[in-house]
Amino acid sequence: MRHKTFDAAGGVIAFAILALLPVIFSSGYLIGVLTVAAIYGIWAVSWDFMSGLTGRENFGHSLFIGVGAYAAGFLNTSFGFGPWWSLPAAMAVAVLFALLMGFPTLRLKGPYFALAMLSGAVIMQRLMLIFWEYTGGEEGISGIEPLLRSPLHFYWFVLAALAAVTLLLVLLARSKWGLILRAIRGDEATCLAAGINITFYKIASLAISAAFAGLGGALYAHYQLQVSPQLFAVVTSITIITMVYVGGMASIYGAVGGALLLTLMTELLRDFGEWRLMIYSLILIAILFFLPNGFIAPAWRSLRERLSSASPSNRRKTPAAAQSHAIGGSATGRETA
Amino acid sequence: MSEIIIFGAVTGSIYAMLAVGFTLIFGVARILNLAHGSFYALGAYGTYALTSIGGLPLWQAALLSVIGVALFGVFVERFLIRPMRKSQLAVLMISLAVALIVEQMLFLVFGSEYRNVPAFIDDKFTIAGVDIAGQRLLTLAVSAISIGALYVFIQTTRLGSAILAISQDPEAAQYMGIPADRVFCLVMALSAALAALAGIMAGPFLSVNPSMHLLPIVKAFAIVVVGGLGSIPGSILAAFMLGYAETVVAYLVSTSWTEIVSVLATLLMLVLRPAGMFGKRAAF
Amino acid sequence: MSLLTVKELDKRFGGLHAVRKVSIEVSPGEIVGILGPNGAGKTTLYNLITGFIPADGGEILFDGHSLRGLAPHRIVGMGMARTFQLCRPFVGMSVLENVLVGSLGPRVPAGDLEQRARGLLADVGLQDKEQVPAEQLSYGDQRRLEIARALATEPLLLLLDEPFAGLGSGEIAELSALIRRLHADKGLTILLIEHKLREFMKLVSRVVAIDFGAVIACGTPEQIVAHPAVIEAYIGKQEEEHAA
Repeated sequence: MRHKTFDAAGGVIAFAILALLPVIFSSGYLIGVLTVAAIYGIWAVSWDFMSGLTGRENFGHSLFIGVGAYAAGFLNTSFGFGPWWSLPAAMAVAVLFALLMGFPTLRLKGPYFALAMLSGAVIMQRLMLIFWEYTGGEEGISGIEPLLRSPLHFYWFVLAALAAVTLLLVLLARSKWGLILRAIRGDEATCLAAGINITFYKIASLAISAAFAGLGGALYAHYQLQVSPQLFAVVTSITIITMVYVGGMASIYGAVGGALLLTLMTELLRDFGEWRLMIYSLILIAILFFLPNGFIAPAWRSLRERLSSASPSNRRKTPAAAQSHAIGGSATGRETA
Repeated sequence: MSEIIIFGAVTGSIYAMLAVGFTLIFGVARILNLAHGSFYALGAYGTYALTSIGGLPLWQAALLSVIGVALFGVFVERFLIRPMRKSQLAVLMISLAVALIVEQMLFLVFGSEYRNVPAFIDDKFTIAGVDIAGQRLLTLAVSAISIGALYVFIQTTRLGSAILAISQDPEAAQYMGIPADRVFCLVMALSAALAALAGIMAGPFLSVNPSMHLLPIVKAFAIVVVGGLGSIPGSILAAFMLGYAETVVAYLVSTSWTEIVSVLATLLMLVLRPAGMFGKRAAF
Repeated sequence: MSLLTVKELDKRFGGLHAVRKVSIEVSPGEIVGILGPNGAGKTTLYNLITGFIPADGGEILFDGHSLRGLAPHRIVGMGMARTFQLCRPFVGMSVLENVLVGSLGPRVPAGDLEQRARGLLADVGLQDKEQVPAEQLSYGDQRRLEIARALATEPLLLLLDEPFAGLGSGEIAELSALIRRLHADKGLTILLIEHKLREFMKLVSRVVAIDFGAVIACGTPEQIVAHPAVIEAYIGKQEEEHAA
């Protein structure tokens, strides 16, 4: 059986379980936690697509999340548009910011790009506070309408969005887009010499990443029914990055697992209240030191290998062929998606 | 007008202390240290804690704070950053994680209200018709003296030459037997000490709260981009340029817009001249 | 009907006049060599022609089109491919994937890209190392990979930058044979920078000698070796090295 079949099966099973969980356990609290986890999942896969593949870690992802959320907030309250308009609007606004920030900063090497994007998010947060007359300042915008009245239906909608975004980004990552983005990570000059318009692909991938981050932001706005400058905080970006590290950088699907795991853990640690953020940071440091490849994607890959070599079609082949088939999948050094 | 000149200089001097340390550790170890703002915050909080809770006289509290933060910087460099040196991004992530941990600890211990770091000089002076707090004047002086001392140290001592050598060519310096690791330690300590000093001097008149580390990082980055990565004179010049730009904007437009100055400056410089004014290496 | 015409190409870096009004013509099907000591400006010339740095003056005509001001990837799309002196393969990707990245341009014929890439790997002798991570290849193999990746873009003209640098004599002979084969089988026009004389002279039909950014001589290998300006550039340099 080929990798893709396994991955598809795994994905379907995982999402089916996620969809059924609140039905089985029938708890409003669980629905809330899972909804937030799914939204973080959207944020995490969108980050992984650009930063994971190109290796240009974006420390200001919260910028796109925040502008998407605020766009939703403004559109719904100040301008009185129906809540469903928020989704495309948030994506458009986020893409706009991606283009604005992307052009000057994507030329920079890794750490400088990261820091430039971080600066963007920090400044945006300050701006929301400075222009408090328009943005509601510290309290932000409240009174946002929900998208769907039933929390369960909204959860399923968010879950469907997560599945769609993950599928789209995984497919892109496995297509020539993924090849190009990974090549950009490899060596930009060589990319140019291979005939690739790296500026286009860097900016486009940032825009795609931003679009879905903004989408998640809008969903968040219509879930919390309010937005505040906290959305722009560095903590949000770092949480998302940690989720992707836990899930396995550049795997995209791993980020979903990372989001789920960390959101659940946050809930379990609720009693520790203010210590949570510190624990996140400590986890990040631990992962960087001990598990830089994360553990969700590597775990899935080894599970997949074990299932694959036990499958009937492989047993028919000679042992040598089966072995090279198993090796072939992960011999490209760091396997992605 | 005189107000702008004097207050701009004060702001510029604080930024200079922050930026010089930031660019120093970058020039030597190629590290963009996101925990740099934390040194600034810890300097202020340390002094506050040692005076109000510890009851120590201000001079002692300040000295102990600077030393303590320098040691903290060495600790972070030795145990958290050095093992990750192979990946610039991992170093970035770790330094940011450290910054967040420090912020959280400060929040847990001191709460989120603004604290009062005591000033060295409480009197006000009048210079050129402008009323100015003694503390601000002292900040100017301390900044000039500390940066000047650092400059003299680098230019005249052997360790200083080692620092310059490593900034220019780390490998060649190692072949010459210069102990890079020990130099990194020293530079980190100096960098942290300068930042802490900035926090102690500025604490009395700038805001002291757990998230005070963020803006200094953003501004230090802006200054280093404009001044040129790794160039100390560039950082000093750019620090004053930023300080004056912000002061002018504050007086002529409104204080709300000052934050935007730094990000605008950064973006503009990145677009027009990514190597900065005096940068030897471009950021790409 | 020349394929590449470089006319009075000029570039300064601050006070350094790196390329001085260089003019070169390359006809289709030739193998032309660019000879010059270190620092003569050969790689800068390549960087100018391939769009990696902007020229200060002069003209570059390729297949009838002007290349001045075009971005590097566009120039590749027009049929000019180059290799680098220091091999920089795509780290973290397999040999096959490296070639595939070069197969995405407008000149590549439609069809199974992977199969075509495998064919190119076979052409350069890397067919058994398809799945090997590129950074694990030996230096000589990385050179072959560079060439395979350049070939993947379906070029009319191939610019090689010191392909023999860092190779042992056996590897040089193999690579030289490969270049000759590619020229014969695919009808590629090749421009070749080298400063190792022996293999170079056997490979090229015409030589342009460069020193201090300017063309000092032009002709067949035999003519160049006997040319007084070239001898001075090389022997003069040798004397300096002996003195130092």
